Amino acid sequence: MKRTFNARSWTVWLLSTAVLTLIIRNPLYLIIILLAARIVQKSCGEDERMIKISFWRLSAVILLFSVLFNLLLVHVGQTVLFRLPQNMWLVGGSLTLEALIYGATSALILITLLAVFMAYNSVVSTSDLIALAPRALANVGIVVLIAVSYVPETLNHLQRVREAQSLRGHKVRGMRDWQPIIIPLLVGGLERSMNLAETMVARGYGATSSVGLSTAIRLLLLAGLVFVLGGWLVSFQYPLLGWVLLLAGGACLLIAYLRQGRHSSRTRYAQVHWQAQDWLLVILSLLPLALALLPFPGLNGSSLSYTPYPLAALPEFEPLMGIVLALLAAPAVIADL
Amino acid sequence: MQKVLTSSIFAVSILIGIAVFLFPIIVPAALPAADTLGGEFQQTQALTMVLLTLTIAVLLLEVQGQATSAKMVAALGMLIAATSILRFLEVAIPGPGGFSPIFVPIIIAGYVFGARFGFMMGALTMFVSALLTGGVGPWLPYQMFAAGWVGLTAGLLPQVNNQTLLLIMLATFAFIWGILYGLIMNLYYWPFLSGSLELGVAQGIGATIENYGVFYLTTSFVWDMTRATGNLVLMLALGLPAVRALERFRDRFQFQVAAP
Repeated sequence: MKRTFNARSWTVWLLSTAVLTLIIRNPLYLIIILLAARIVQKSCGEDERMIKISFWRLSAVILLFSVLFNLLLVHVGQTVLFRLPQNMWLVGGSLTLEALIYGATSALILITLLAVFMAYNSVVSTSDLIALAPRALANVGIVVLIAVSYVPETLNHLQRVREAQSLRGHKVRGMRDWQPIIIPLLVGGLERSMNLAETMVARGYGATSSVGLSTAIRLLLLAGLVFVLGGWLVSFQYPLLGWVLLLAGGACLLIAYLRQGRHSSRTRYAQVHWQAQDWLLVILSLLPLALALLPFPGLNGSSLSYTPYPLAALPEFEPLMGIVLALLAAPAVIADL
Repeated sequence: MQKVLTSSIFAVSILIGIAVFLFPIIVPAALPAADTLGGEFQQTQALTMVLLTLTIAVLLLEVQGQATSAKMVAALGMLIAATSILRFLEVAIPGPGGFSPIFVPIIIAGYVFGARFGFMMGALTMFVSALLTGGVGPWLPYQMFAAGWVGLTAGLLPQVNNQTLLLIMLATFAFIWGILYGLIMNLYYWPFLSGSLELGVAQGIGATIENYGVFYLTTSFVWDMTRATGNLVLMLALGLPAVRALERFRDRFQFQVAAP
């Protein structure tokens, strides 16, 4: 797999793009983000997925559901396209252009999110993704690593089990026929895990005492959870207080993670260095987000949200915002620098 | 003290889970009407994902204490690998739509090895199979949370010695979770697709629930029923042998050399 950028800088790109997709409700801007994500995937990504999902087919299904559902159930809006008899349950009434546009916009948000995450999946390899796990979650990281590394072998094992069973005349016809396949698969996996555990111990796993959670850290975790929940609930009525509580909760959790992380150290075999182009990617990813969230002179934030109700009109489009959003496609260009 | 803290952490995380999953239904009542039409709702939606991710981060840190022995780590990894493979079968072997064979192993592992093991098994199976299928997305925290609770609640089931009773209990449990899982996961994308919030503000909570009901019946009821029935049948077919196999290993895993 060609390494274009550091997985961390890709993650910044992902977060910025995903947040933008979630806060923008203007179809024109969403299409720019969607295209940017597709361009990034085509130019930087590598398809290593084991299951191929057709992006456009899935998108078509989402679009169809969303448009139909809105059109048939939401009878709000002034541009009437068609009328169904009033006595039909739920769907009866006027079908409006506004509901259609609203449904299509909602679908566009989901489709864009899908494209953004598909791009991220294809540009960051599985092992790099696992390496991003915080140090406090060392044990969880090891479990995930074992699972991912043993999947190919388990697939082979599954193949062997199925061959052995079909030699004996076994065919999968109903649910009950899964038994001779799944049970040996589970038992075989557990047998191997006994061997693996012995190997791990022989190589010194668990030789240093592993530290459980202390009372202080548990208190921090609990306080963090209570703060974020409280902040989230309060933010409906008092946004400022809500955000303060949310940030306080986040800080508690961060401290807990950092303190717990001190107990485990990790050495890396293949270091991936942070390069100049990673800085470039981070800056170019955060720029559109900053422009969308913070007030800037000459930029009107109102073009970000768009609602067709009550009377459909063309969405506003600010060329500067459009250009800045197109920067999200930058990885495709600067990867080759 | 430690025990009280642990159970409080779990209690708060349950509250957060309920609040987040029910949020599309309660939020129209909570938000001032004028705001829902703008970007306000979507920001809140983004916030719920952050909230859920943080909660999963806390729960993973809390339960990973379970996986300190090499045997448990290795067993968990292997079981997750085997279960993730079953998720491939879901695509490779055409079965009834909506059916997924991954829930039965999660339930059985939770039942045999306990609630914490079950939570890790469920949440991490979702995570690993998402990594492998390229399915990492904003829906992942919701899947991890829901599947984690499948395993966790399975660990809270009473230990039953009577084989028939055990099978009935596990099969009913698998059936119920088959439906619940769909109900919960729908709540994640339903507000995107249905434009329900506009409705909710105009017509109140009753209309929102009705809207969700229609959405559920038209898009996912059949799907969920096949999943639930599939779970039931699969559990009936291999629940007992799988429980027996895992129980045999449980005794071997808990074997420790006593300090002299």
